[in-house]
Amino acid sequence: MNILEVTDLSINFGGVKAVQNVSMRAEKGSITSIIGPNGAGKTTFFNLVSGIYKPTSGKVMLDGEDITSLKQHEISHKGISRTFQNIRLFNQLSNLQNVQSALDARANYNVFEAVLGLPGKRKKDKENRERSRYFLDLVDLGDVAEERPNSLPYGKQRRLELARALASEPKLLMLDEPAAGLNPTEVEEFIELIRKIQGVFDLSILLIEHRLKVVHTLSNHIYVLNFGELLAEGNSEQIQANQEVIAAYMGEDED
Amino acid sequence: MGYYASVLTTATINLMAILSMYVLMGLTGIFSMGQAAFMCVGAYTAGMLAVRTSLPMVVVVVISVGMGMLSAFLVGLPVVKLRRDYIALITLGFGEAIVALLNNLSNVTGGANGINGIPRKMNIYLALGVLAVLIFLLLNFKNSKFGRHCIAIKNDELSAAAMGINVPRIKLLAFVLAGGITALSGCLMAYNTTFIEPMAYGSVKSIDWICFVFVGGVSSLTGTLVSGLIFNLLPEVLRVFSLYRIIVQGAIVLLIINFMPQGLFGEYELSDLVKKVAGLFKKKPAVAGGDKQ
Ligand SMILES: Nc1ncnc2c1ncn2[C@@H]1O[C@H](COP(=O)(O)OP(=O)(O)OP(=O)(O)O)[C@@H](O)[C@H]1O
Ligand SMILES: [Mg+2]
Repeated sequence: MNILEVTDLSINFGGVKAVQNVSMRAEKGSITSIIGPNGAGKTTFFNLVSGIYKPTSGKVMLDGEDITSLKQHEISHKGISRTFQNIRLFNQLSNLQNVQSALDARANYNVFEAVLGLPGKRKKDKENRERSRYFLDLVDLGDVAEERPNSLPYGKQRRLELARALASEPKLLMLDEPAAGLNPTEVEEFIELIRKIQGVFDLSILLIEHRLKVVHTLSNHIYVLNFGELLAEGNSEQIQANQEVIAAYMGEDED
Repeated sequence: MGYYASVLTTATINLMAILSMYVLMGLTGIFSMGQAAFMCVGAYTAGMLAVRTSLPMVVVVVISVGMGMLSAFLVGLPVVKLRRDYIALITLGFGEAIVALLNNLSNVTGGANGINGIPRKMNIYLALGVLAVLIFLLLNFKNSKFGRHCIAIKNDELSAAAMGINVPRIKLLAFVLAGGITALSGCLMAYNTTFIEPMAYGSVKSIDWICFVFVGGVSSLTGTLVSGLIFNLLPEVLRVFSLYRIIVQGAIVLLIINFMPQGLFGEYELSDLVKKVAGLFKKKPAVAGGDKQ
């Protein structure tokens, strides 16, 4: 059973064919990775699936439902959540409120209840604060709940973004280079963390990652993009043995 | 009413309008350069109803606020999907257009002569009472999902949308709320000054308000209140120098923006301080001495 099915997805920016006729599937409960050299179109692919860009052609199906033409926030409510390659947190909200933003977007009180501070609103806010704390604890950030994201070191900011993305309890979690900038110990911890949350939530994950160690350890299935096109797909062994993939990575720095 | 009471009443009513700028700029990060036009809408609605009908003041106030919200909705609808810099420009245009319209519909609105003979029904107690209610409602708004949505949008629109926030809808909400508050201020001002002159509500006034919010600290309701009060009373204090008012004001704004880019209050709220002080009394005195952060 596939949680995500993408068919012939393409987008052009002026002359740049950033993503060309890419088709891929992600199986429910699995970790599917997208790798490829810099500028291959990986982030653009994420931006298309999560609704930031509208594709020039092609189709995106989530859990059997066509979401191609939906807006970004609608896609979020359908069950796709994501993190960003260049961390994008809300710097004037506390770390707890950053996580809560995902739950706030799903809280059902109206503006009158809000301005009057009615009991229904208070109750919902309290519930959501507690729920957010649960997600903060999950990524081991419970002790900095009241601090701001920009006072956190890089690795913790990445974890906070992960907690925020998890809080909406998505059907599909998309992580854009979540291990970038982490030191080797943090990378190990990150791999552990992903295993842990997958155990808790039975998540389907789509992962973009440059660190092949992370990719090969975690992925059930791997897609390789190059110059906007799909170059290869397969499991970890197949990809590691693929000559075309090795050639595409020649001259690329492994970090 | 005494001189000081009357000065304070006017300042209090102006303060309400400045609070609308806090909702837009401080919370949501939207620059409205034509916000004073909604004050004009409120003042005219109130003026015309007060002079030509016998509706009680409460009803007039409600209708004025409704008109402010309606016009903000109509202006906001095409605006909220645009980029921020365009929003500033377009609200500037809309603002001037609304004022010009009211100015030129002379048979309905009295044109450039404005409206005279509005009954004076404002006093300092009423003004302060309304302001207090407004602050209460706005603090609740800020501390609700809506306030947090607004701040999220101000910080990172793309990320806010990715969390499931309907960004244009929240911007429109902020716009309508601000329009209602500004119109309320205009309506009360009509009952305070007893006449309306349309020329008083141009973009210069809107830009004044933007400056006030910046000086107080864009992200602080308390800061907005304090700086709004200072700038409203300043011309009274410096009456002799009224010509130089704009220079003094400009100098203050420049100094603050250069040396305190976060404004006087940054993100601090008086209510935080009250909570902190209350917290200190609960804890052991030993902790009280330490300055955290
Ligand atoms: N908004 C845009 N406008 C114009 N060109 C764009 C835009 N977004 C991406 N591109 C181009 O599309 C191509 C793919 O970029 P993308 O960011 O998707 O690559 P990537 O695979 O994520 O690379 P990296 O590993 O460096 O993150 C690049 O050539 C990039 O310059
Ligand atoms: Mg990328």
